[in-house]
Amino acid sequence: MNPETAIRKKHHSAGYHVQTVVAVLITIVMLFPLYWMLATSVKSAEEVQRVIPTLFPQSFHPENYLNVLTRANFLKYYWNTIVMTAGILILQVGTGTLAAYGFACGNFKGRNVMFYLVLGALMIPLQVTFIPIYIMCANWGLADTFLGLILPESVSAYYIFMMRNSFMAIDQSYIDAGRIDGLGRFGIIWDVLVPMSKATIFTVTLVTFSNGWNAYFWPKIIAKNEVRRVLTVGLAQLKNTFAGQAVSNYHEIMAGAVLAVLPLIILFMIFQKYMMTGYSKAAMK
Amino acid sequence: MTDVTATTAVAQAPAGQKKPRITQRQKAKFVDFLFVLPALVLLAVFTYYPVAKLVQISFTDWNLLKPEWNFVGLKNWKWLFAGSGAKYLWNSLKVTFLYSLGEIFATMVGGMIFALIFKRMTRSFSAMRAILFVPKYVAMSSCAVVFLWILNTDYGVLNYLLKLIGLQPVDWLNQESTALLSVLMTTCWRVLGYGMMIYLSAMMGISPQYYEAASLDGANGRQQFFKITLPLLSPTTLFLLVTTFLSSMKVFQSVDILTSGGPARSTEVFVYLIYRYAMVDFRMDRAATSAVMFFVILLCITVATMKYSNNSVNYDA
Repeated sequence: MNPETAIRKKHHSAGYHVQTVVAVLITIVMLFPLYWMLATSVKSAEEVQRVIPTLFPQSFHPENYLNVLTRANFLKYYWNTIVMTAGILILQVGTGTLAAYGFACGNFKGRNVMFYLVLGALMIPLQVTFIPIYIMCANWGLADTFLGLILPESVSAYYIFMMRNSFMAIDQSYIDAGRIDGLGRFGIIWDVLVPMSKATIFTVTLVTFSNGWNAYFWPKIIAKNEVRRVLTVGLAQLKNTFAGQAVSNYHEIMAGAVLAVLPLIILFMIFQKYMMTGYSKAAMK
Repeated sequence: MTDVTATTAVAQAPAGQKKPRITQRQKAKFVDFLFVLPALVLLAVFTYYPVAKLVQISFTDWNLLKPEWNFVGLKNWKWLFAGSGAKYLWNSLKVTFLYSLGEIFATMVGGMIFALIFKRMTRSFSAMRAILFVPKYVAMSSCAVVFLWILNTDYGVLNYLLKLIGLQPVDWLNQESTALLSVLMTTCWRVLGYGMMIYLSAMMGISPQYYEAASLDGANGRQQFFKITLPLLSPTTLFLLVTTFLSSMKVFQSVDILTSGGPARSTEVFVYLIYRYAMVDFRMDRAATSAVMFFVILLCITVATMKYSNNSVNYDA
């Protein structure tokens, strides 16, 4: 044994190793539900109903996924979720960025009062206001439509608030320089403010995306019909009926669950750093 | 832009001479205002108008199954507090606060313990931290159906493990004593890693000099944690308390999928109560009254926490 490893060995006390073991055990327990979802999703109907669960699937049944996608109409739900999330994202980013510019750089009467109105909206979730909004949307013929899914979520006070703070942190001289170079308002937003607050935009947009993708409450209320059902609601529906009949089919439900989380998990793997710092950044404020 | 100039010109008419310059500036202000207009209009239509409408509905007898409705004064409010609605109101308030307590405890205490266990700055620990954080990004619906399966009475893996160690299997989701606990289990899985990340990133911001000074003074690990780490993290703890409290009050999805508020209303959280009145019973009057009540509660929590946070302990690091 050379002296260096001897020193390192000495450095690691018993507590150090206990900590490692505990950490690994916790990680395994926390990872288990995800693993179990994946493992169950490729089991056969018979294997799922065994009294002694099998840790590893004994036979491989990828057709569960095909069943969910076609028979249970998950393809349709996918499309609905994608369009809804995209619509919410575009509208929230659009209205949010414009409003953030107005509040950060504009100087008009009642600006502060209006900004307080935006902040006040943070306290009023859809869970409070959904009844009148539902009636309104139903009267406008928006039940079971994309517009009905998207419109009530089209503006985010959180987005405006975060972007305004980010814009206000930018030194006025950059904006003045842009003006001197002949940039209009949109030019200043696009060429000065947005590039300089890239990090904030990125993290806030990721949060918005994940909120849209995971939305459940409002889609469940406004899109009762199959045509505009989204993944989250469709998945919950799977537990009651599968292609119209009541069954106990956890292998297929798990396949549906995997399909529903896959895009977000992939996104998380790619943007892991941003997503993890995004939340902590919000906490630092 | 022509109509803009026209209105400002009319407004400025009595001012007289300096018209062109002022018009120019006012026009600029007006254009700035136009940038916030879309967001304000949407907020007015989809946030503020519904609140007003909600208050109005709470004074009517509006039932979706009947074509017409009338004003009935305080009838719904009496029903909510003193009539047959009262026991459901208190029940759901109790359930919601119990749930909130559980989620806050998991996020703050659990998150802190996890942060202490996983704070080592090595590659493998960084990977484990990422794994712990993933559940935050798993859609609640996927998360809920997985726990539906794990907690399944006959084929669930949790009951299998219980039987392995010689315990009785538990009917997790279908009995009053364990239903809320099951919902909380699902929540725990999602929030533990989140609480950990928030605490860890705050711990990273604490200057190592404090710990060096403390060690020189002979403080042990536990003293350092309680005298340095915990007090310096008080803003983070407050942040977690406020945000978790408010978001946990709005819990709906996990309850809806796991237990549908049952059995015997033992998991009927407040949002579920409103949802049931509105979308199952079609009693818009009762639902609206409960929703106004819910709004008042959220408002009180927000105001109280904001007041508290203004004079909270905050050692500037």
